[in-house]
Amino acid sequence: MKDIIKLIIKYHFTIIFVLLEIIAFSLMVMHNNYQRTIFSSYTSSFFGAISSTVTEIKTYFYLKETNKKLVAENIELRNQIEKARVLYNESKSDSLWHSNISAEYKYIYITAEMLNAGLNKTKNYIIINKGSLHGITSEMAVCSSEGVVGIVEKTSKHFSKILPLININLRVSAKIKKNGYYGSLQWDGNDYRYTYLNDIPFHVDAEVGDTIVTSGLSPIFPEGEIIGFIESVNKKTANFLRIKVKLATDFKKIFDVYIIANTQKREQEQLEVIGDE
Amino acid sequence: MNNVTYFIHLFILLFVQLTILDNIQIHSYVYINIYILAIYIYPYRLHKTATLLFGFLLGFFVDLANHTMGIHTAATALLAYIRPRLILFTSNREQLEIHGEQKISEFNWFFKYILLNNTIFNFVLILCEAFSFNNVLITLVRIVCSTLVSTLFMLLYYFIALKKKQN
Repeated sequence: MKDIIKLIIKYHFTIIFVLLEIIAFSLMVMHNNYQRTIFSSYTSSFFGAISSTVTEIKTYFYLKETNKKLVAENIELRNQIEKARVLYNESKSDSLWHSNISAEYKYIYITAEMLNAGLNKTKNYIIINKGSLHGITSEMAVCSSEGVVGIVEKTSKHFSKILPLININLRVSAKIKKNGYYGSLQWDGNDYRYTYLNDIPFHVDAEVGDTIVTSGLSPIFPEGEIIGFIESVNKKTANFLRIKVKLATDFKKIFDVYIIANTQKREQEQLEVIGDE
Repeated sequence: MNNVTYFIHLFILLFVQLTILDNIQIHSYVYINIYILAIYIYPYRLHKTATLLFGFLLGFFVDLANHTMGIHTAATALLAYIRPRLILFTSNREQLEIHGEQKISEFNWFFKYILLNNTIFNFVLILCEAFSFNNVLITLVRIVCSTLVSTLFMLLYYFIALKKKQN
């Protein structure tokens, strides 16, 4: 305190001067229309810039919440699309033929968050925060907004274990989007960014950059969920192509996923079993 | 210069400024301000804080008369603030110590002193009036013209009233 007073006494001349100038400027801005207009335009742009920066920073802190809302909205929209699809099919169907199955949703979407993941081995897994209480059973499809993630392996009450595409035990039926040739997708255990599509006949026209989607042949995945894009095509093996696929989902980055439940899966599977017998 | 003469000078300067010079308008590029001579010739021995307050009040008074609230005040307060430094800067230090103050009758010093002062004064004044950095060229032209014409009028006053009195 003593030092501050000393400082004030030492520089009182300058301090008084600054005060007087402040008074002069405030007089100038308050009592002259022209100066006031210019001053207010400067201050408003200055404080506008500050407040927009503050808002930007604020939104950054709310990103997680916003993200959750968006995911919820996405799920809602997907469910609505499913509903609309069913209604559309119904309106299209022949009046002589009637099926009560078509009035139900084929797919139901459930949102979930990733809790834990082991992604550095060959038998990788992901744990999510929804379980059997939320209606999840094994062998349901798991996707993210980027693309396919994997398949539910086991469920407990509150959690589920997912086999991601980058698990060497998982085979997924996939097809080339542009011409519909399908094969099976299996990871080789090396790079988490790439997987391989096998069993595509060698005459098929597959080019780098083509989209690989789920085939919809197995009852797990709906048709047309994006898996990835062709990175390279290898024609050396006898009759089949070995296509290297760059996965659309970045497994090191995903957080929000959604589960796709196929309501008609059991029925389809039962029919397949009957066919076997 | 004793206090009575100073007050007479102050009165004459303000009178001339407010009645005559403020009514002269040359193309709006030129402002003639000679009342600030009152700050230049303010008795040197008085305390500098008093000079500061005096400069502030003088500018405020002219502002009141001209309805240009704050503009002259800002400029004159600055002049009063830099006055001690400017006197030291322009004058011979030895002479200052001997005489205790700078002799106004010394023309070379006086000319240098008022030219510097006027430049600073008009710079602040016209920048405050323009209050923006648009049309910087016009603002600069106004500053230069005003400085030159003001200096001319001050020299006129100097030769009529100040130099003789000193002798």
